[in-house]
Parts: sequence; C-alpha cells; structure tokens
Amino acid sequence: MERVLLKRVGTPNSRSIETYLKDGGYEALRKVVTGGMTPEQLTEEVKKSGLRGRGGAGFPTGVKWGFLPKDSKKPIYLLCNADESEPGTFKDRLLMEEDPHQVIEGVILSAYAIKCKTAYIYIRGEFYDGARILDKAIEEAYAKGFLGKDILGTQTSIDLYVHRGAGAYICGEETGLIESLEGKRGQPRIKPPFPAVHGVFGCPTIVNNVETLACVPHIVNRGAEWFAKIGRNEKNTGPKLYCISGQVNRPGVYEAAMGLPLKDLIFGQDYAQGMKGGRKVKAVIPGGASANMLTAPEIEDCPLDFDGVAAKGSMLGSAAIIVMNEDTCIVDAARNLSKFFSHESCGQCTPCREGTPWLYTVLHRIEEGQGRVEDVDLLERICNQMANGMTICVFADAAIAPPLSSVKKFRDEYLHHVEQKRCMVGPKAALVSSEAAARRGGTREGTVANAPSPSNQPESART
Amino acid sequence: MSANPTPSPAAPPPQKETFTVIFDGRPIEVPKNINLIEAAKLAGIDIPHFCFHPRLSVVGQCRMCLVEIEGIPKIQAACTVPLKDGLSVKTTTEKVRSSRAATMEFLLINHPLDCPICDQAGECTLQDNAFGYGQQLSQYDEKKRQFPTFDRTMIGPNVIADMTRCIQCTRCIRFCQEIAGTSELTFLDRGGRTLVWTHDGSPLANDWSGCAADVCPVGALTLQEFRFRSRVWYLAKTKSVCPGCNVGCNTSVESKEGIVYRFLPRLNPPVNDYWLCDHGRLLAESLNNRDVHRATARNGQAVTDVIVPIGIERIGEEIRKTVDGTGPSGLFFLGSAHLSNEDNFLLRKIADQLSCPNRDVVVDKARVRKIKSVNGWVEGDEAAANFRGARDMGLSPAKGGYGLEAVLSGKASPEVVVVADATFSAMADNPEKVAAVRRARFLVVLAREANALSRAADVVLPATSLAEKEGTFTNVQGRIQKFERAFLPKPPVRAHWELLLLLANELGYGSRFWTPSDLLREIAREVEAYRHVKEQELEGGILLKKGDFAWTGQP
Repeated sequence: MERVLLKRVGTPNSRSIETYLKDGGYEALRKVVTGGMTPEQLTEEVKKSGLRGRGGAGFPTGVKWGFLPKDSKKPIYLLCNADESEPGTFKDRLLMEEDPHQVIEGVILSAYAIKCKTAYIYIRGEFYDGARILDKAIEEAYAKGFLGKDILGTQTSIDLYVHRGAGAYICGEETGLIESLEGKRGQPRIKPPFPAVHGVFGCPTIVNNVETLACVPHIVNRGAEWFAKIGRNEKNTGPKLYCISGQVNRPGVYEAAMGLPLKDLIFGQDYAQGMKGGRKVKAVIPGGASANMLTAPEIEDCPLDFDGVAAKGSMLGSAAIIVMNEDTCIVDAARNLSKFFSHESCGQCTPCREGTPWLYTVLHRIEEGQGRVEDVDLLERICNQMANGMTICVFADAAIAPPLSSVKKFRDEYLHHVEQKRCMVGPKAALVSSEAAARRGGTREGTVANAPSPSNQPESART
Repeated sequence: MSANPTPSPAAPPPQKETFTVIFDGRPIEVPKNINLIEAAKLAGIDIPHFCFHPRLSVVGQCRMCLVEIEGIPKIQAACTVPLKDGLSVKTTTEKVRSSRAATMEFLLINHPLDCPICDQAGECTLQDNAFGYGQQLSQYDEKKRQFPTFDRTMIGPNVIADMTRCIQCTRCIRFCQEIAGTSELTFLDRGGRTLVWTHDGSPLANDWSGCAADVCPVGALTLQEFRFRSRVWYLAKTKSVCPGCNVGCNTSVESKEGIVYRFLPRLNPPVNDYWLCDHGRLLAESLNNRDVHRATARNGQAVTDVIVPIGIERIGEEIRKTVDGTGPSGLFFLGSAHLSNEDNFLLRKIADQLSCPNRDVVVDKARVRKIKSVNGWVEGDEAAANFRGARDMGLSPAKGGYGLEAVLSGKASPEVVVVADATFSAMADNPEKVAAVRRARFLVVLAREANALSRAADVVLPATSLAEKEGTFTNVQGRIQKFERAFLPKPPVRAHWELLLLLANELGYGSRFWTPSDLLREIAREVEAYRHVKEQELEGGILLKKGDFAWTGQP
C-alpha cells in the first residue's frame, strides 16, 4: 500500500510547513473553509469514511462528534490526545515529530467540523521534542493564516494550544486528560456525564487521538469512499500505523491497510522481517500493555483490526504489537507490565489502588523463585476482583490483562515457577539461586520478607 | 452514551414530585434530588459506603456501595447512579455480595488493623463494613504499606493524623474544599502510594478542622482533645446545643460517669447541618470544671457552708426586708445569656412577683463564628448561646426600672442583687465591676466556677453545667432548641431553674412540682412570641414566626 500518513516521514525537512505545502498541505483546509463543506457535511464525510478512533477504543469518530449537544450555548472544545504512553506505542510521537503539520491540519479540520473555536493538543510531558516541534509548527500555521482569527479570510476562527502533561499514563484516559488540562490532579471522572456533554471546563468536549485526527485531511482530499475502501471490511477502514517491538528483526512503525494479518506484520519483508535469530514466536501482545496476550497458534490468522483482534479475545488497542520469542519468561513479562500498572494507577478507586501493587508483589515473588502453588490461583482471583465495573475507569481492566491472560495461556510455566522455584525458559532457567535452592521444599517463613515491594512503599524522599 | 434522556414510560401530563425506584423488587417513592444511597435508606436498605457523604460531592471511588442495576451488565457504584423513574436496583445478589467482599478485602490488605489502639474503634465505618460485608480471611501475605512519618503526627492544632490507617476516601479533602472552603488537604503521589496530606506541609488549621476528623470513616484523622480518653462505646450520647455562641449548633454531649468527654455535631440541616466549629467543640471539657460544690453564706467575715434551703431562706428574708423597707426598687435581678429560657423566665417571674422593674441581661461580643447550614452560612457574634432568649423572656429593664449599666456606673444602688449566673460575662472577673455590684447590701450568686463575683457574694448557690440540666435556647435565627440532661449533678448542686424555683416558691410564685416542661408551657402561655412553642415538637427546633416581636429575619 502507498504511504498515506507516513508519506513525508523520513524525508528531508519533513517538519517544515514548506515541505507540507509543496505536498498539497492545507489544501483540504482551504477547500473546506472557503465554502467547500459545511461542518455538518464534513462530519457526515468522516462518518461515511468509517474512521474509528486510533487511541485504543476504536469508537467511530464521526459518531462521537455527533454526540455533541446541538445548539449548545457553551463553547465546544477539541482536545487532541497526544499523551501517548501505552507501553509499546510510538506512532503518535512519529507523526508529531516528523510531520506536525499533518496533525495540525487534522486538528483544524476537526475543530471546524464540531464548531470548536479553541483546541488543545495535550502532549505527554516526556515528549519534549514533540512539544517544541508542534509549537514551532503552530507558529508557522498562524503566520500563514491557517490558524487564528478569520482563517484564510473566511469567518472561521480557531485557536490551537499545546499543553504539556506532567508524566502520568492515566492522563491518556480522556476524562483524566480533561482533569489534567483543567489543572487538577489527573484522575478519571465518573461517567455519565460524558465529555461530549460535560467535558473540559464544564463544556462539551471531544477528545481524539493524534492518528485519528491526522486521517481527517486525507478523507477530505480523497473522499470518504477512498478511505472506506482501504481496509479489510467496511467496519475496519483506512490506513493504520502499527508499532511493532520485541524480538523481531526490524522493529518500528509500519503503515498498512487496516486488517493487515498479524503474521505478515511479524514476518513480511515489508515489515518486521521475522524473528531475531530465527527463534519461534511464543506470545504476542497485539494492542499495547493493556491487551491480552496471544499465543503462537492464535496469531496464525489474526487480522490486525478492531474486530479481528477482538475475535481472538484481545484488542487492537493502540496497535502496539509486542512480540516475545520462546526464550521469554512469561512470568517476567507479566511482572514487568504489572510494575508499570502499579506505578501508574491514579489511586482513587480501592480495587485498582490496592490490587495493582498486590499483583506486582505476587508476580515478583513467583519470578524470584519464592512463589507458592496457591499463588497462581491467587493471581486469577485478584484479577477477577479488580475489573468489570469495580472501578471508575478501565485502567484496572487493562492492568489485569497481562497477568490474567498469561496465567490462562501459560499456566504450566507459572506452575513450573512455583514448583521448581525458577524460570522454565530463558537465561534464568538453568540458574537456581542459592536462596531459592536453600528454600526449595523448605518452609515458607522468610520468603515473604525477601520479596521487595517497591511500589507498595512510600518513596524514600518521604522518610 | 446517548445525550437524550430516556422518555419515561406512559408519561402522565402532571409532573410527579417523586421517582418510583424499585429496590430488590419492592417499589418505593423517593424525592427526585437525593442520592441512590439515601433513597435506599428510605427503603430501609443499608448500602455500605465510605466516600459518599450527603453534603459532599460524589466521587464514587471507594467502590463499596456496589449494586446491580437492571439493564446494566456491569456492577455499579450506587452513589454514582443517577436516580430515575423505574430504576430497578438489586442489593442482595451474589454478584453484589462478592463484589463488596472484594472491595473490603482490598481495603483491609494494607490497613494496619490496629483497632485495639485506635480511637476510632467502635465508631469506625471500616470495622462496621468489615463485619457486615467482608470476609473472615484474606490471602494477603505481603508486607503492609505504612506511612511511618505521617503517623501520630499533628496535622493541625486540633487533629492528629495516622495516615497508615487512611483508606483514601477523600472525604476530608472534599470537606476542606467544599464546606470549609479552605482546601488545605490533597492527595499526594498516586497508586498504592497515594497519601492524604496538606499541600505544602502547612497545618490543617481552619475553624472546622474537627469536622475533617468527623467525616473520616477510619482512625486516620482523630481529635487530639479526645485521643485515648475513652473508648467510644462507653460514652452516653445526649442531645444538646453548643454553648459556644448564639448560632446554637446542635450537638451530642458524650459523657461517662458524670464526666463530659466531647461534643459531636448533631444533624440539623437549617442550623449546623452535619458540622460544628472547633471553638464550640473544644468547650466540651470545660463543662467538667467545678469550684462551687455546696451552698455558702457569709456571716460577717466568715463564710460558712449551708444547705441550699437555708441559703434560699436567707435570700428570701433579705428580699422581703428590702421590699418592706425601700420597696421593690431596692432589688436588682441579673439574668444570663448562658442560661436557658426556663432559667431566665423564672428570674423574670420572681421580679414580676415582687413588682421589681430592675432586671437585665448582658452579653459579651465575640469573634464572629460561622457554620455552613443547608441554606448558607449562619453567623453568630455573641459569646453566649441565649442572649436573644433571655431578652425574649423579659429580662430588660421594665418601665421605671434600671439595668446593669446603671448599677455599674453608680447611678443606681440596689440593696439586694441576684445574679443568676456567676459567669454571665467577662465582667464578673473584673475587680472594679465586681466592686460596683458589691456596693449592694446583699449579693446572691448562682455559680459553678469561682470568680471575683462569686467570691464577693453573700450567698452562693451551687449550680449545674449545661450537661447536668435541660432546657431551651433561642439562637440567632430565632429558633428555639432543646437541650437534654446528660447526667444528674452531684448533690447539693442543682440546676439553675431548680434553685430559682425554690426561691420563687419562697416568695410565693409557682409550684414546687414544676419541671422544665411546665416552665416551657408557662413561657408559651406568657410570652407572646413563644405561644406556638410545644415541647413535643422541639426536635430540630421551632422557628419563631414572622411578625413576632422577637423575629429579626435571619432564616
């Protein structure tokens, strides 16, 4: 497939407005605001294109815009969610850093479609370069009259600001993002009311992912039909960026039509070009840390789109494909991800605040050869107690995905850990720590004290 | 995700004032503007919760109030479910039971379970819900989280923090933000390390900091004053009214074996709602002060103990002697804003009986105290609870009479002065003012705490504290509120009204069998503004009616 979103990425001066303009940039904006399309027509066009949110949930973008109350007296806000922090995801960063004007044009067009006068790009705090590049690009866009008062001499006025986060994964959740943008602690809100009715500053608000918004100029330029024709079926349309990482030959961001078979992404010559050292695939996380793991047989015929991955019991999420080879200790992988989640829980809901560190501690103990047979069932029980409505947002549902799916699919490996007190595969498989050896078959006493629980203790700065 | 409200079935044209909500199959009519947890309470169903508080914003984060809602597959936090007509709530299903047990387990894994040394034990929501909805065992076998440097630490002048016990419900944070409006508290850090503390380590020092400890469902914030003083289950609770100022916050006097341990706020929405200011709260232990244990009478230089009836007789003699000689104008009666309507009414009736126009009541002005009622702030600026009631009872100079000012300035020189409360004002400890009053031939004082005035008196009668008697106060809003007796005084100490009734009887007024209820009935009969006051209806207070002379307009 031809490159759409990544067309200019990797070319010289891809960030400058001149490059973008030479490539037909801001033509979509000119076409729309100078009378080509009304906001309603643009929304209808996006609906027809079948564009679904690229941030993770895959909610149809046009439908989401349609939730805005008609004739609201309050101002409407558009927030571009650039808080890309799902482990394994690095596509939005590429779009913002390498082709910022494509994102900005998408934001302006979408703001026009929802009659928004003020839009924000909420960018992850760690993306210092991205924020700097966007700021410069926005300045250029203002100078050319694509932003600000009376865009291109028309009645349309839109302002765009970059707002940097302060380093919290939860601020990628849309209501957490809104709270953070308001200057409060980043904590998800209770829904309803939904942001479309009561969002930032109490006003109707739409939150869209960077990649989602970057698709909008192409829909305008080439038509909804063109966009809808790309992809596996009419429900999963358009070009899609896939982030692949792990033990593959060529990790990175690849653009393909929605529904690219997972096997092609891992083994295709145009993509990751197979496993490093020819090792076998053991497990794949298809949609970022929050997605359930897939086993090698499950990836055989898995189209990478929202419905295709869902059919396998996982989710496309942010399309962050993490590939693990046969030497990967699955308990270690789950422990790693659990540490992330226990660090990032916002701490307002009891099950998540208390459950995520507990999960990490138990996984840590198992991995370090101090697990007990009942720990495997315990992991499942903790997971089942945390999710499905037990918390305000779906963070807890995400946090349980790695341990729960890995226990389900690699139970024998967990049992090997608790019985043999060491890894089944990987570099540590042959090693038996002296501690573990001394304790193997021994009493339980002492094991617990040795399992550190860093995430469970206040930071040392406090003491 | 629809923005459109669901059309109500059948939609009858007249708008209903209530919603029909179905709890476990039983429909009940509930007001539209309340929370589902409160609605359940009306249906007699207890939905356990920590973070929900009727006066604080809904955050839905403790995840204890879980219920099933028909039509929604996932379990829901009851406090976050908007009420609507026909809502069907299930509170007893296995899913509800196991979900609540799960939340309880999560709450307890890092809780220190130090109930034996925790002041909150016995009135701890965590304890109650653990017994009601938790399970006996947990598989948690790791090290518990602690916040060592945030334990046993004064977080403000009146409140001690033990943050290891905190369950992160944010009630205290929301209280300081939404009720006090001072926003001292916040969450620090996140996840399992989430800690409640003040923003920059500055103290939790607002005027209502004790309420932050009240709303704390566990022992994370406790009152320094009460710490380790008594286990709460030994304390008797008595409905009372705060003596701190003329706002008249409703309190619960908590006492054991004749000792007052603390005041807690008692719900009364139009007055103090759920709150009580620190100034009033910290007066609790002052009720235990007592210097005057028995009646004394002065004979020349010598002061001797007497029994109360002898003291009363002596007063009667002196009064009669004056009436027979100089006439009633030689008498002066001083009431007190600290005393009840009944006390002050009796004093006025004694004056009436003797046709004496010389009577008064004064009050000290104090810093303005505020409390947030459901109708907004109620403010009081008097140092006593009942100046208004005392005035209503008729304790101001009658026609041709004089008041305290005249006595102090020397313009009037009464022969017999009866002071119904030795601590009626800070003046009572001022030697010059006392000397001015002492110019009288005979000075009678009812006292609990000794001061310059009581030491100068000819007859001192031992009177009770607020906790040892009953009566009514009239607050700044014109609301008559009843306080009850927590315990009996130690003989021969008697309530002011008892002592004054004995004196009234001695002088020929009233029945010796009267109780405060009879006195209130007499007040209703004789005081025009109080004619609609009935004791049986005093729960929550009776507001004086518009148009009554005593009504001054603060709602």
